[in-house]
Amino acid sequence: MIVDDSPTIRKMVRASLRELDDAEFIEAANGLAAIEQIALGPVALIVLDLNMPDMHGVDVLKFVRAHRRSKDVPVVVLTTRSDSSSRETAIAAGATAYVTKPFAPPALLASAEHLLSAARQPQA
Amino acid sequence: MPPSELPPDHEPFVEFLDDYFAECDEHLMGARRLLLALERSVGRTDVNTPVLDELFRRFHSLKGISGMVELRPAEELSHTMEEYLRALRRRDTTISVEGINALFDGTHLLEQVVGARRSGGPTPAIGPVVHAIAALAGGSPGSTPVLPAEPAAIAPSASSAPQWRFVFTPSRELVERGVRVDTIRARLMAIGEILTAAPRVIDGGLIAFDFIVATTADPETIAALREDGVLAEPVSRDGAVAPSPAGPAPAVDPDSRIAEAVPVHSGVAPTHFVRVDLTRLDELMRNVGDLVISRARLGESLARAEAHVPSSDWRSIQENAMIIDRQVRTLREGIMRVRLVPVGEIFRRMPFVVRDLARETGKRVRLELQGQSTEIDKFLIERMMDPVLHLVRNALSHGIEPAEERLAAGKPAEGTITLSASAAGETVTLDVADDGRGIDVAAVTARAARAGLRSVAADDEAGVLALLCTPGFSTRDESDRASGRGVGMAVVQSAIEELGGTLRLETTLGRGTRFIVELPVTLAITDALITRVGAETFAVPQGAVREVIEVPLAAMRALEQNEIAPYRGGALPIVRLSRLFGLDQTARDRLHVLVIGAGVGALGLAVDRIAGQREIVVRATTDPLVKVDGIAGATDLGDGRVVLILDPAALARRIRTRSHAAGRLAEGAA
Repeated sequence: MIVDDSPTIRKMVRASLRELDDAEFIEAANGLAAIEQIALGPVALIVLDLNMPDMHGVDVLKFVRAHRRSKDVPVVVLTTRSDSSSRETAIAAGATAYVTKPFAPPALLASAEHLLSAARQPQA
Repeated sequence: MPPSELPPDHEPFVEFLDDYFAECDEHLMGARRLLLALERSVGRTDVNTPVLDELFRRFHSLKGISGMVELRPAEELSHTMEEYLRALRRRDTTISVEGINALFDGTHLLEQVVGARRSGGPTPAIGPVVHAIAALAGGSPGSTPVLPAEPAAIAPSASSAPQWRFVFTPSRELVERGVRVDTIRARLMAIGEILTAAPRVIDGGLIAFDFIVATTADPETIAALREDGVLAEPVSRDGAVAPSPAGPAPAVDPDSRIAEAVPVHSGVAPTHFVRVDLTRLDELMRNVGDLVISRARLGESLARAEAHVPSSDWRSIQENAMIIDRQVRTLREGIMRVRLVPVGEIFRRMPFVVRDLARETGKRVRLELQGQSTEIDKFLIERMMDPVLHLVRNALSHGIEPAEERLAAGKPAEGTITLSASAAGETVTLDVADDGRGIDVAAVTARAARAGLRSVAADDEAGVLALLCTPGFSTRDESDRASGRGVGMAVVQSAIEELGGTLRLETTLGRGTRFIVELPVTLAITDALITRVGAETFAVPQGAVREVIEVPLAAMRALEQNEIAPYRGGALPIVRLSRLFGLDQTARDRLHVLVIGAGVGALGLAVDRIAGQREIVVRATTDPLVKVDGIAGATDLGDGRVVLILDPAALARRIRTRSHAAGRLAEGAA
């Protein structure tokens, strides 16, 4: 699931991750819509923006971690550079990885692939 | 800020540039609106925090997406603005006039930087503005983390409306019916003010959303939400929720309530809009155009077949043909409506422009907007932006007087510029009016005389307008004109004419000036006159033709390279299309003349005969190798023949520049 209020960024993330095998993408433009998606069904990976209009990404992250359905889902926090000290806040709230915008597509893809395979391991 | 360290093999997201520009437009427009709102807080201690927050977010987003497309100056500029806004948020201070002006300047520059990337032009320097804003922000940038907004205890509400708690539990069934948290939020926003919105976990680990809404909606409206799975209960004024009719309150995981008090921005966009790439609509329009042509072709085949079909059968064929006709028209109108956007898009940036210019000139001006919801084709709106901008600027710099002068004339010190739009049938009227000094026709005429142009009577508004729109003509001194207002009235007029529109003027000395722009609602399909010249057929868009007259050859007089004919007590320059395009002309003793334009700009296009009138599909000739000045495009009349569409405005321009001298001679001769 790609959560970002910018439609341009959502498209870019999707394009960066299109090589993921059998990936199905869902997009959410705000925090509430992201949480709705979690309510509707399982997600394998969340790419999450922090600065969003209605509900801050950190709050979304805390909710995701608190809910039994999503507590183990890897979350890549993808946020604009220079708010670097929010890295600690995000990690403390349960971020699995932290990538800054502008991001390099290969780096995001590598991070996503790594997290997905790591998440698959325990169940296998 | 340091340049981004991206690996050298990284390709910037050029494929998403159009998305980037569209999103920049949205944010910049939003930022301007917010800045105008913020300006009201200047010097006051109760700075509008939600406005500041949203403004911050806009620049934050601009920085993020600019970084992704590697438009570094835009990234840096947005970053600087963001830092300044961050400082303002933190400092709990008043906003100074310099501060708000710096933000306006920064927004303006950012728009230019993005515009330069879009048009491929040189990027304007951002150094001075960045330094000015950074100086205002003070301190070292980038040192403060972006944390979630401070949770407001209870979101303050401006309204004293009763508060309701709405609980929405999403489900797959609801999603299939198109009911989502976003649609529910949009509906709640429509009936009142959303004070808070937050998710929570209810029984069985289900997720629900709580909305606290201040609303005066009637009970039926609130009950109607129930059909979409939304429970509603009134909240008593002390903030406690009245006993829930849905039974005991569900057990709540305390951790999951964290977000509950995060305030909601009322600026969240409702989601029942779809953004569609304009090229897709163009393609649909082309398909419908093909359908119109095929229908015309079918009509011709049917006409030939009529003689061979029994009349009983013929009737049903004809009925069906008429039904298809009607349906094609409905389809065409439907697609045209999709292309229509509210004219308010042009208007929205005007307060910004007026504000800047009033600041520059020291005049006091109020801008009134009317009819923002009037709809017009997207294509037209983009091309009308600059002309309308120019008219508004003219109204402010030439029309509105300085405050002292206004007071001396017994007018309020503050001038008013009214920008309004209205629609009637297939025409949209845009109207730029000011209550300023009006146009001094005597001064215009005197200047025209010095420039060797003809003079006009004081009540001949069309004549005055034609003079104002003469290339190179200005009512102001060179120094004033050099102050960089860009395009002149000549460009405004030609832009409007290119779109098949007309420009009119009404002015009263001492009372004000009104420019009236009339435009077709849409362009792609239009009514045209089908004309014959020798063996060739041309289509002439009907909107451009003022009237059709017949001129006996004996009445024509030759002047240098041009011919003129008597017309309404004056002289009308005539251009024979046969000569212009080097075609054989059928010998006749009378010419059919299409009168294009009005006043001194009027021009007659002579053709052999008018063959009829019909709906045509305009296909623009965009290939520069094929493009000919004076030809707007080509159309298919349905019988397989491709016919050229004349561009009367371009033809008129071409001829006007040539026949300037002749016009003056004609004046003397008439």
